[in-house]
Amino acid sequence: MTEPTNSGLSPLDKKISVLERKVEREKKARKMAERQLEDYSLKIYETNRSLQSSLALSRKKQGELEYLGEASAVVVSEVSVIELLTKTVSLTGHFFEAECGFSVITKNGQFVASQQNELWNKDNDWQANVEFIQKACDLLPLGQVEPFDSWLVSPLESNEQQIFKGFKWQVYVNFKLNKDSMAWIVFFSAQDYLDEESLYVLETARGHLVSGIRRRLTDARIIKRTIELQDTVNDLERAKRQILQSEKMASLGQLAAGVAHEINNPIAFISSNTQVLNQYFADYQQMHQKLEHMLSNDQGLSLLSYQAICTEMDIDYINSDIVDLLSSNTDGLTRVKEIVDNMKTFSHAGNEILSETCLCDCVEAGLKIARNVFTCELTVDNQLLPSCPVVMGNFGQLQQVFVNLFVNAAYAMDEGGTLSISQTPTADSLIIHVADTGRGMDEKTLNQLFTPFFTTKPVGVGTGLGLSVSYAILEAHGAKVQVDSRVGEGTTFNLSFPIIQLQP
Amino acid sequence: MKGIVFVKFNEFVEQCWGDEFWDELLEEAQLASQGIYTTIGTYADQELFTLIDLVVIKKNISSKQAQIAFGEWVFKELYNVAPNDVHDFKDVFEFLHAVQNVIHVEVKKLNPDALLPEFEFLSESATHLSFNYLSPRQLCFFCEGIVLGLAKHTGQEIKVSQAECQHEGGQRCVIEVEKL
Repeated sequence: MTEPTNSGLSPLDKKISVLERKVEREKKARKMAERQLEDYSLKIYETNRSLQSSLALSRKKQGELEYLGEASAVVVSEVSVIELLTKTVSLTGHFFEAECGFSVITKNGQFVASQQNELWNKDNDWQANVEFIQKACDLLPLGQVEPFDSWLVSPLESNEQQIFKGFKWQVYVNFKLNKDSMAWIVFFSAQDYLDEESLYVLETARGHLVSGIRRRLTDARIIKRTIELQDTVNDLERAKRQILQSEKMASLGQLAAGVAHEINNPIAFISSNTQVLNQYFADYQQMHQKLEHMLSNDQGLSLLSYQAICTEMDIDYINSDIVDLLSSNTDGLTRVKEIVDNMKTFSHAGNEILSETCLCDCVEAGLKIARNVFTCELTVDNQLLPSCPVVMGNFGQLQQVFVNLFVNAAYAMDEGGTLSISQTPTADSLIIHVADTGRGMDEKTLNQLFTPFFTTKPVGVGTGLGLSVSYAILEAHGAKVQVDSRVGEGTTFNLSFPIIQLQP
Repeated sequence: MKGIVFVKFNEFVEQCWGDEFWDELLEEAQLASQGIYTTIGTYADQELFTLIDLVVIKKNISSKQAQIAFGEWVFKELYNVAPNDVHDFKDVFEFLHAVQNVIHVEVKKLNPDALLPEFEFLSESATHLSFNYLSPRQLCFFCEGIVLGLAKHTGQEIKVSQAECQHEGGQRCVIEVEKL
């Protein structure tokens, strides 16, 4: 027994009761702690669950974003409409977890079997299966003229065709390609329920696809239009070449009278020379007979008698004249040949290739042609030097320009005058001046100088195309044209050609 | 206030004055929790103040002395339960700077709702550090004690005082730590 204390309890009892209370508190504390631990565990479990569902949700969202990203990448790529549809089927089928799918193009509401006959399936490969596609198309409202506003879903459960066994849904959409054609994308799903959210994502992708298809169709139209424009340009180019050639032939026509005259001259003197030569030939035949007669009559032929016959017939003169006549004929024929040759070069259509061209030679060649229409009162003063700078040009075309200018000058100087051709070299160009002392032009004529079909020549003489064609040729050569003219004083054409900087 | 403070205060009182004294305190305090404390629980601040007040009366010491003594004792207890990351500190000043950036961050990880004091550093030299102790609990003396316990841990000799104290008519509590 312990001594009782003031409170009636012995120290030991008191100690025991203190410890008992302490143990009681510890027990309760432990229970509390355990309860709290349980609460924590529950909270952790719930947190875990919510984290897992968040993770699943974000994975789903990630899948959706990946799908949309890939689908958009295909849409913005440069693949054709068919490829775009094919790739969209693969991507969308995979995302939508469809069993199979395909795309077709219909014409006037009819399935065109030869175009696409491959079926995508969930193992992500494509296999030919026309029968399935044909049967699946039979389920579609192919007669639909306007495209749908969204994906359409139709249940397949009541469909008893063996080929669709296991499929629960047909999901499809269409896109208008042109007046007659429509593209369709179709999927088959075996899922019990279609995820509404996935359908929204599909809807977003559809929007991208619509704009992608539209862009491609616009591109195709632009390409078609570009080809048409190119064809038109080619036609115009051809027409231009024809006009160029026609104009050349027309100016040849104008030149014809002059050419005839030029050719006539040598022919006239060749003809008269030939008559004289005929006479000389008769003289020689006569002399031949005389000599034969003398020898046959046994009169004997002495040098003296032969010389007497030669003197009588003026053989020395005939001999020297024959040489002159033949030489003159040769010259005449050479002249005719030259004229014909020039005409041939000029009338030749040629090409449009530019090469290093000497304008001096060009002017010379032009003069040779144009000279045929020059009157004898017209003086030509060609001051161009063969050493003049070289330009990039087409010899035939530039010759045509000069012929045209020279013929016009001659026309303006029908009462005679001087046609002078001179040059002014500058740092980067060579200016050729073609000046006449003809009747000149007033301002009205000057303004219409290069207008096609404008002419001051009488009907039937000019085509009115000469200067406009010349202008086009000069423009193609990068040459500038400037005209000075005074009525009653004359006209000067200043043609400025860019010169080639030859490598030192 | 977090249960660990009550559990440690319980241990401290029992270590100083025995089980019976603690039992006596609880008997008189008539606390809502009945003194059943777990480290993971949270209890009303007032319970700690009530218990401290009773110690002050019964042992005839000042509240300041009681708080400092408890703070100094409790440092190593809290330090031992802290994560390993905070065990690298060798200097009192370094540790005080790290309180907000490291220790309180760790505390918040386990107890997101914990109400923690803030230190606003006012001046510092090689041997002197002064900071404003900010806490609605106004346990500045307890804080002084903890700093002393910290110095004991780092093996540094320091003097802790308050230039201003709200318990002594000041606008704020400015704790001064001086290395000796």
